[in-house]
Amino acid sequence: MMCARFNRDLESYVDHELDADAVVTLETHLAQCPTCRARVAEREALGRLIRSTAYHSAPLGLRASIAARAARSTAPRRLMLWAAAAALVVSVGGAVTMVRFADARDAAIVGDVVDGHVRSLMADHLFDVRSTDQHTVKPWFLGKLDFAPPVVDLAAIGFPLVGGRLDYLAGRPAAALVYQRQQHTINVFVVPNDAAAALPVGNRSVRGFHLRRWSRGGMTLWAVSDLNDTELTAFARALQEP
Amino acid sequence: MARVFAETVLPHVDAAFRYARWLTRNDADAEDVVQDACVRAIRFFGSLRDDDARAWLFAIVRNTWYTRVSRRDTAATEAPPNHARAEPADGALDPEARLLQQHTVVRVRTALEQLPLDFREVMVLREIEGLAYKEIAAVIGAPIGTVMSRLARGRERLLAVLKAEMSMEALS
Repeated sequence: MMCARFNRDLESYVDHELDADAVVTLETHLAQCPTCRARVAEREALGRLIRSTAYHSAPLGLRASIAARAARSTAPRRLMLWAAAAALVVSVGGAVTMVRFADARDAAIVGDVVDGHVRSLMADHLFDVRSTDQHTVKPWFLGKLDFAPPVVDLAAIGFPLVGGRLDYLAGRPAAALVYQRQQHTINVFVVPNDAAAALPVGNRSVRGFHLRRWSRGGMTLWAVSDLNDTELTAFARALQEP
Repeated sequence: MARVFAETVLPHVDAAFRYARWLTRNDADAEDVVQDACVRAIRFFGSLRDDDARAWLFAIVRNTWYTRVSRRDTAATEAPPNHARAEPADGALDPEARLLQQHTVVRVRTALEQLPLDFREVMVLREIEGLAYKEIAAVIGAPIGTVMSRLARGRERLLAVLKAEMSMEALS
C-alpha cells in the first residue's frame, strides 16, 4: 500500500517536526487519502486527550525547599578555601607539590573511590565496555552520563587502556576508566566538579591502595591502584598532560 | 551560584515533578526523586553548558529514577499507582458532559500509566511537556530515530487500548 511510506512522516507531521518540503508532499497525499487523514486526526485527538488529563502539580513547598537547599550549598566556596589553603602549603613547602587531603567530603569520596576499586576487582565487574580503543570507550559513555570524560590511551608508555564502566562516587554517576600495568589494575574515576579553580594534585594511601586526585577541564579525576607509588605518579602525570 | 541556580533551574521544578510523577506513578516517590535529582543538579550545576536547563534537569530526574529502580533491583517493586487526587472538571460543561469528561480523563490517564516505561516517558515528554524530538533524545540519551519509533509505537498502543475501551467519538 502506498500509504506505508508516509507512516513515519505522519508522526512527525503531527508533532510539527516535518520539514517544509515533506509537509507539502504529505498534505498532497492527505488531500486524496481518507485513511491517512483519519490517522492524523486520531493522533491529534490522542494528543488533546493526553493533555486533558490534568497535570500532576508539584506539592506545595517542593520548590521552596529546593531553593533553600541551593542557597545552603556552599560547596564551591569550601573548595576554593581548600584550594587556597593547599596553595599556601605548596608555597611554604617550596619543593612540595603533593598535598594531603583535608576536607571531610574528600574523606567520604576517598572511601568511595577505594570501595569502587575493590568492588570492580572482586565482583568481576571491571568493564561495561571492554576495549583498548579510546575511540570506542569514549562514545560508549555518551548518553549514560551528562558529561564527557576524557579518555586517553597510555599504551605507549606502558599503561594500556583496557575498558570502562559506569560507577558511582558519593551518590552521583561517575565514569570509571580501567588501565592495566602488568598484573595491576588502575581505576580512574571521573566526575564533574563545580570548583572554579583547579584542584591541586593530592595523594593518599588507603587500605593498601594508592590514590591520586587532580582536576582538569571541569572534571575531578581519581586514580586508584595497588601499583607502587612511583609508577602511579608517572601514570597520573601522563594523564594530566594536556 | 544559588542565585543562578534559582534563575535557571528552579522554574523547571514543577515540570520535573510532573515528569517524575509519570515515571514513578506515585506522588511520594515522585517527590523523593525530584528532591534527590535537585541535590544532584546543584552539584552538577557547573556541567550545565547549553541553556536548555529543562531537558538537563529532566535527564537528571530520569537518571535518579533509574538509579533508584535498579537499587530496588527490579521495576516490579514500583509502588502501585495512586489516584488520590480528584480531577477538576470543566465548570462550563453541563453535569452529564462533565461526568463523561471525568470518565474519559481517568481512562486516558490509566491507559498512559500502564504503557511500558520506554513508551510512556516519550509520550509524556512529547504530548504533555511539549519537548522537541531533539530534546527528548537528550533527556533519554537515545538517538532521535529511537524517540520517533517509540512515539509511533506508544501512540499505536495507546490508540488500540482506548479504541477498545471507548466509543470512537471521543477519538475523532
